[in-house]
Amino acid sequence: MSSNLENNDKILKIFSTVRCMNRDQLPRYLDGRLTDLEKHLLEQHLVDCDLCFDALQTLSQARYREQYQPLSVSISQYIRNSIRKVSTTQKVERYQRLEQKKESFLIYFWVVAAVAMGAGGVYLIQQQNKLKALNPPQPIAAVEKGIEPIPASHSQPVATPPAETAASPVAATVAPATAAAPVPDSLRRRPPAAEVKVIPAVKKDTIKAAPATPKPAPAKDSAKKAPPAEQKEEKSTLQPAKETPAPAAEKVEKKETPPPPKKEKEKEKDDDDNKKTADAQPSGTDEFLYKAAMVYHQQGDLNEAISRYKHLADSKSKYGELSRYQLAVCYRSKGQTGKARRMFKEVVRMNGPMKEKAQSALDSL
Amino acid sequence: MEPFRFSYVNIGNTMLQQLTNLSDKDLISRARKLKDQEAEGVLLERYSHLMVAVCLPYLNTAPGTAADDVFPALLQRLSNSLKTQTIHKVNEWIHYNVKAIQDKSDRNLPFFSSTESREIQQVENRIEQAAMNQKEQQQLIAQMNVVISQLPAEEKYFLTKFYLEQQPLAQLAGAKKYSIDKTRQILKNAKQHMASILMKQSYEQ
Repeated sequence: MSSNLENNDKILKIFSTVRCMNRDQLPRYLDGRLTDLEKHLLEQHLVDCDLCFDALQTLSQARYREQYQPLSVSISQYIRNSIRKVSTTQKVERYQRLEQKKESFLIYFWVVAAVAMGAGGVYLIQQQNKLKALNPPQPIAAVEKGIEPIPASHSQPVATPPAETAASPVAATVAPATAAAPVPDSLRRRPPAAEVKVIPAVKKDTIKAAPATPKPAPAKDSAKKAPPAEQKEEKSTLQPAKETPAPAAEKVEKKETPPPPKKEKEKEKDDDDNKKTADAQPSGTDEFLYKAAMVYHQQGDLNEAISRYKHLADSKSKYGELSRYQLAVCYRSKGQTGKARRMFKEVVRMNGPMKEKAQSALDSL
Repeated sequence: MEPFRFSYVNIGNTMLQQLTNLSDKDLISRARKLKDQEAEGVLLERYSHLMVAVCLPYLNTAPGTAADDVFPALLQRLSNSLKTQTIHKVNEWIHYNVKAIQDKSDRNLPFFSSTESREIQQVENRIEQAAMNQKEQQQLIAQMNVVISQLPAEEKYFLTKFYLEQQPLAQLAGAKKYSIDKTRQILKNAKQHMASILMKQSYEQ
């Protein structure tokens, strides 16, 4: 049983790993100066190892045996000697290389850092300039400058209120009083729904415009003068030439309001007021929407401007026609001549104040 | 002999002793991963006497085959090969390169260990792993006994006599009146045969 177990263990030796013969074992094997166990182990290795077997086969011949010993010693010595020779020079070379590497790395680091800092500075300056260009101090100024067709189109509707006031002094006297109060309110409330960017521009506009206008009668006319101030501004921005009629109209208003006989009954007044407020509210919002769209148009954001003009295009007020005209202009500048032509045709068909402009634009397309 | 390029920096005796105690696998690993040329040198020095013995018949057989030419070229070739080739068994790798130097037509072909050699090595690894696991060891022994019984009679005889009864090669060869070389070849083939059957069985499982 025990021999069986031993045999079982020995079977594993078939695949046991044995190292190659070392410098000492090789001649001893040849001379037969090994123990049985050692010899058997080496023979187990010899079965697998061609290198050792070939070496033994060679060294079993006496003439090679004589050459082997000195050559074996010399190759070993040769390796060690060459190692020592190289190592001393290599040490110095390595040290020098390391030092050079350190220095060059530091130089590279500082060069890269300097370049990065320079690039960062340039980038920051560019960003600042861009921001400045994007956010001018008075955004409405962009609107004020206006594009080519805007002054004519914009001036016309704006010019009408004074004319109206002149034509119907009774209505005019009542209108500002009633319309003035709700319009700014509605304007101040509405913008958040439209666009955040537009709000400050409009507010600034109104705020700046208010003190700019002369205030002969602060208590009574304060409400009346709010809308003319805005109108005035529009005129001043878009058509400075027509700026004068506004004060004239105001004067007319002032002149005409005093006579009490021209005023009708208070009930009629109230009815008129109601009508006016109803008319004024949408036109006021349209105006601001139109202004907002103009801002985008001025800034070159044609897509946003077009979407805003489209909202206004269905409006029955004068801004409907104006926005269609501007839509056509936008399409033309985008190169969509088909759409532009269609829009101009619509404007012509509307037979409004922009008809001639639209017709001339159509002809030039 | 001109010195071939090995750059050993800290070749102190202590370091050398530490390296000589390392296995071939560790030395190769150090030479490759850490670019430790000392380890590379120790490895080559370990087999240098065998290289000399194998190269002896080749030396001075033709012009350019003097020891001064052959050994630096051989060592340089081995040094280059060590960095690029997969070496499972150093003795096979050195033997291949020595033969390649001697037979110049094959000198540019890289070394790849044969399928047979890899099979034997896989079985050797299995046995090494099973050394700590008694159950697995018993399973392996049983499996090997079955495989031996499947081998041809002559192979079975030689394996039994040589490995189990520990008879010397010369005695085995004398008994069968074979040369030592032939006896070794029979044993080698039997071992290879056994390894391939074992590996086939393990793949089938």
